[in-house]
Amino acid sequence: MGNPMKNLGTPKNIFLESIRDCLGKVEGPPLEQRENLSQSPDELKQLCAELRVTLDKELDVLLSDLSVSAEARGWNVHRPANVEAVLDHISDIAKIWGVTDISRSDQQVFTEYAIDSGISNLGYNITTIAHNDFPDDRTRLRNAIISSGIGITGADYAVAETGSIVILPRKGLSRLVSVVPAVHIALVRKQDILRNLDDVFLLRRLDYHLGNDMGSYLNFITGPSRTADIEQTIVIGVHGPKEVHMLLLD
Amino acid sequence: MADIKTKSFVTASKSSIKDPQLRQALEKVGTGFDGARREAIEEISEEKWEEWRLKAREIKEHTIDNLDYYLDMLYTNVTNAGGYVHFAHDDNEANAIVSQLVEENNVKIATKSKSMVSEELGLNHVLEKLGVEVYETDLGEYIIQLAEETPSHLVAPALHKTKEQVASLFQEKLGIPYDEDIESMARTAREVLRDKFLKADLGISGANFLVAETGSLVIITNEGNGRLCTSAPRIHIGITGMEKVIPSLEDLSTFLRLLPRSATGQRLTSYVSIVTGPRRITDEDGPEQFHLIIVDNGRSKMLADPKLREALYCIRCGACLNICPVYQKVGGHAYGWVYPGPIGSIVTPNLTVLQNAKDLPFASSLCGACREACPVKINIPRMLLNLREQLVQPSDGSKSTSTFSENIAAKSYTSLMKHPSMVKLGNIMLKGLQKPFVRDGVVSSVPIPPLSIWTRSRDLPKLPDKTFHQIWENNLKDNQDTNG
Repeated sequence: MGNPMKNLGTPKNIFLESIRDCLGKVEGPPLEQRENLSQSPDELKQLCAELRVTLDKELDVLLSDLSVSAEARGWNVHRPANVEAVLDHISDIAKIWGVTDISRSDQQVFTEYAIDSGISNLGYNITTIAHNDFPDDRTRLRNAIISSGIGITGADYAVAETGSIVILPRKGLSRLVSVVPAVHIALVRKQDILRNLDDVFLLRRLDYHLGNDMGSYLNFITGPSRTADIEQTIVIGVHGPKEVHMLLLD
Repeated sequence: MADIKTKSFVTASKSSIKDPQLRQALEKVGTGFDGARREAIEEISEEKWEEWRLKAREIKEHTIDNLDYYLDMLYTNVTNAGGYVHFAHDDNEANAIVSQLVEENNVKIATKSKSMVSEELGLNHVLEKLGVEVYETDLGEYIIQLAEETPSHLVAPALHKTKEQVASLFQEKLGIPYDEDIESMARTAREVLRDKFLKADLGISGANFLVAETGSLVIITNEGNGRLCTSAPRIHIGITGMEKVIPSLEDLSTFLRLLPRSATGQRLTSYVSIVTGPRRITDEDGPEQFHLIIVDNGRSKMLADPKLREALYCIRCGACLNICPVYQKVGGHAYGWVYPGPIGSIVTPNLTVLQNAKDLPFASSLCGACREACPVKINIPRMLLNLREQLVQPSDGSKSTSTFSENIAAKSYTSLMKHPSMVKLGNIMLKGLQKPFVRDGVVSSVPIPPLSIWTRSRDLPKLPDKTFHQIWENNLKDNQDTNG
């Protein structure tokens, strides 16, 4: 980076003043504040605690709702009974696609379910995006991901309403693993299933208002990559994965 | 600024209607996009849909009424996340900001995710002049970039092209064998652009929403190009209109429910990316710089006019285009600038020059379908009428666009309708006059203008034997007879 960065264009005060002129108002907060912006962290904590209770109660319903909803959005949903079944799914998918190279993130879910060592013993060329493995070596990291036929990641949440998974930045998680390889496999823990979009944003808002970083991204992934840009005909797999698998872990 | 061809709406729509390939492409809009939208609404129920629309409208009203406050909040939170916010009063200023960032950072290759505002600015030409290789990466945008055309739809920019046309284009521009299989054309785009994503220094995106509470930029895509553009290059520039801000992350769920359903009938698009600042030190990858350029470029004209303010509630879903009987016939290019269809007929004249776009507010039958389809309940027909009024009776002292004969006709009609006896007399006369022209119950050709213009492509129903007055009087008499 050469020059120190600064704000360019019209200074903020001048820009905002011209907006106030258009609106015929003076500087200041809205006469009526939006309710959601006046919530205190304690209120949000309370709401999240209530949400947790609801989610625990509805867990079985949520599992089946998510399966149905995700299948409808183009996910292949599996509910492996144990670690062996998880590994079987991964090698089945690799066989079908004739894949030799797989990249995976280094999220907690891999160690928690003891999937990490099993994956390494499957006989594929596995690249793990472990933190500090590639300090500032973008090219090596990228090339490994680009040459992978399959990318495997965890998920922070899954959303029953939309059939989505949600991914937040984590150490050991590249943004590219879930978008560059032709196949993406997402490992979803049952306790991370939420009902709907409101639940996701409530949890993120609590975290944010407790003073934590929002994180550089929050990605919803809902099925495979698709387009209908030529003659409104749907084609699966443009720039992102052609096939996506959701492994629901009990 | 992108080329403005709004003056030629009439001639452009005439040639559109004569283009059989375009007609074929447009015929699918009603069944395809709009059909999918209706199914999506049915799935969650009309009541629920109405509830969401009201909520979205309320949020938009509140935010636009307090736009300065929320832009300030957004600014603070983007800055806290390590990003930069730049305000641009017009297209030149916005282009200058991008140019400066490009030069300071020695950018050679840029990939772009879909941004209608960058179309407004004519940004690609500016970048090319600076020697930057620019690649549109949304498949539709890529196609029109290769064809050196402009988007014809808000959501599906290459909607006007048939698969044969795209195949010939790829053959000519990419030097590959002709192949009209849609799947292999999408694969070609994947292969060509994959390399560009990874080589690019700069990723440019638009924004579907900006969240003031968290300082986030939200992009909604299906292809995955948006994620690649904002993940792979070392710099990310988001460019968007100042009206895109919403207060809270909580408010976003309402819009995420409305936008994909209204655009393509999807419950959610394949990807929703909520970007907050550049990569953090603990992230494995992502852009080192994040810049957000917030553009006015004529929007304050609508903001300052309470009658037109609600045009700024638009979330660019394209539902009003898909349902519009005029858009379905003439297509997007006829509208002559970046934003086509009913909402475009309001936005375009305001972001360009109303007097040069005088046909657009009239390019509507005022049937109201657009208002019904709009997820934020924008009263498009009312605003079209307001613009017509501005054209005919300008309040700013500019010349009225109505012609001498239109004025005479309007005045005669007004005085005629004030005198029932004259209406009766006129009726008798016209009934006599129409006799030589009536064939099979319709008047299909009158050689005298202005009627000759009307009858050139349409039939006039013949005047009925009994006028409404006569029927009314007779019925009244009958009723009195039976009652008495």
